[in-house]
Amino acid sequence: MLRFLLFSIRRAWDGFWRNAVMSLAATVTMTLMLLMLAGLVIGLSGLDAGLRFVEQKVEVQAFIADGTPQPKIDALVAQVRALPEVSQVEYIDKAQALQQWQEQLRQQGKPDYSSDTGTNPIPASITVKLRDPHVYGNVIQTLQSAQGVVTDVLETQHVVDALLSVTGFLRTAGVIVLVLVGVTVLFIVVNTIRLAVVARSEEIEIMRLVGASDAFIRWPFIFEGMLVGIFGAAITLGILALASQPIGQGVATLVGQVPIQFDQSLGQQLVMVVGGSGLALGAAGAFISVRTYLIR
Amino acid sequence: MTTSLPRFPGPFAAATAVRPDGDVARAQDATFRDIPEARRISIALEDVGKVYPNGRRALADVDLIVPDGDFVFLVGPSGAGKSTLIKLLIRDELPTSGTVFVAGRDVRRMPRREVPRLRRRIGIVFQDYKLLPHKSVRDNVAFALEVTGTPGRQIRPAVERVLALVGLTAAAGQFPNQLSGGEQQRTAIARALVHEPRVVIADEPTGNLDPLISWEIIQLLLRINELGTTVLMATHNAEVVTALRRRVVALEDGRVVRDEVGGYHREY
Repeated sequence: MLRFLLFSIRRAWDGFWRNAVMSLAATVTMTLMLLMLAGLVIGLSGLDAGLRFVEQKVEVQAFIADGTPQPKIDALVAQVRALPEVSQVEYIDKAQALQQWQEQLRQQGKPDYSSDTGTNPIPASITVKLRDPHVYGNVIQTLQSAQGVVTDVLETQHVVDALLSVTGFLRTAGVIVLVLVGVTVLFIVVNTIRLAVVARSEEIEIMRLVGASDAFIRWPFIFEGMLVGIFGAAITLGILALASQPIGQGVATLVGQVPIQFDQSLGQQLVMVVGGSGLALGAAGAFISVRTYLIR
Repeated sequence: MTTSLPRFPGPFAAATAVRPDGDVARAQDATFRDIPEARRISIALEDVGKVYPNGRRALADVDLIVPDGDFVFLVGPSGAGKSTLIKLLIRDELPTSGTVFVAGRDVRRMPRREVPRLRRRIGIVFQDYKLLPHKSVRDNVAFALEVTGTPGRQIRPAVERVLALVGLTAAAGQFPNQLSGGEQQRTAIARALVHEPRVVIADEPTGNLDPLISWEIIQLLLRINELGTTVLMATHNAEVVTALRRRVVALEDGRVVRDEVGGYHREY
């Protein structure tokens, strides 16, 4: 068994480099396909993060008029907190609000001019989180009725309702696109590896004639396909690693508020997805390609 | 199975006899006792016909028995069915009708996974040598053993032995494109022999060689035959066949039209 494995891996390695041009063509195809796949995964995970952020954001925000005395605000907070639909109420005063805004600007790498004005233009606010994003109850009326205290109520109900139906659709569409791309990738990779196998058809014929078993013919090619997959995946991940910095910034400027994070979990996920699909596609491509020579 | 019966004398013998597998064993024993030659036949074709899927009839009613150690020329015009016959012997094709026995195995009933084992008992030589250009003579021969899972330490001595037999020890490190046609064919013959096959099947082995080199190859095949290996050689080479006065099987339109020991070869 060990001898068989060593034999197969050695032959796969030899085969890969002997047909260097073919192997490189297959590797480049594999890399392109994996990049496409990775792009889709990143896009989908970004979309998903955005959607989750939006769903989480289902809240009501009331802005407090400047100069409102603290007891009045405390009373309003207590009144809202008593409502059955409310899960959490948070009061953010002017100083905190300014600080949060500055923090956001810094994260996005935008210049902060707020200190130049010498005043604080950001109003204090009450943020109300709901138990169920769909049930508002009397929250909005209660806040709006506080004349003189609340200047404006930001209510996102209709936006959220629309978003919730859109997010479901987008998730389904994303999965369908991912599957379609996966199948396309498989076909292209199979075809490319088949070219490499056809270039070695004479060798396969000789192996059959001298009495090599199917396993001895098949596995070196499967390992060779896996080699193409591993190289393709390594190149893809290298490109992604180099590109992650500019892409992250690009996305941050594009999406702005939504905190899509290219953190470690997405990185690990990408390594698994790209590496796994590279290996699986290479092996499947080789398996299917050699099959045509073995069935007699 | 054949040796198990004498080991259980007395009451056990009777007990063994009533068991179904015991009966089978005895039946097989009986067959081999009745036809002792059955163990010594390399190739046996009985009433073999082959019709390709496109409807072309390549072989019809072919009967052929080649005992172990025989040297047989297979002759006939192009399209007479020589190649098809060889394909049946190495189970590259299956007969449409009849039975094909090679090296003691029923080729038609053989499961696919056992085909490699059959091919290791047959050495095959082709007109175009079928050598791997990027491998040296030694590696081309060793390849046949490597791809059948032979342990590494057994490969080298076996390769050196067959290279000595075909007279290529000095050229072992050379590559096919550095060799003459005759040397390439001798490499292919060495590869065919390295499994110590019971039968060597050569399909036009001298087809690409000039007369002098052809004689060398024939001499080599005769020598292999003298060492006990059955040789079946398909050829167009009338001169060789006529000169050697060996058994000649002539095919025409898929039928055996002549099968004579020491027969002559008609010009086609």
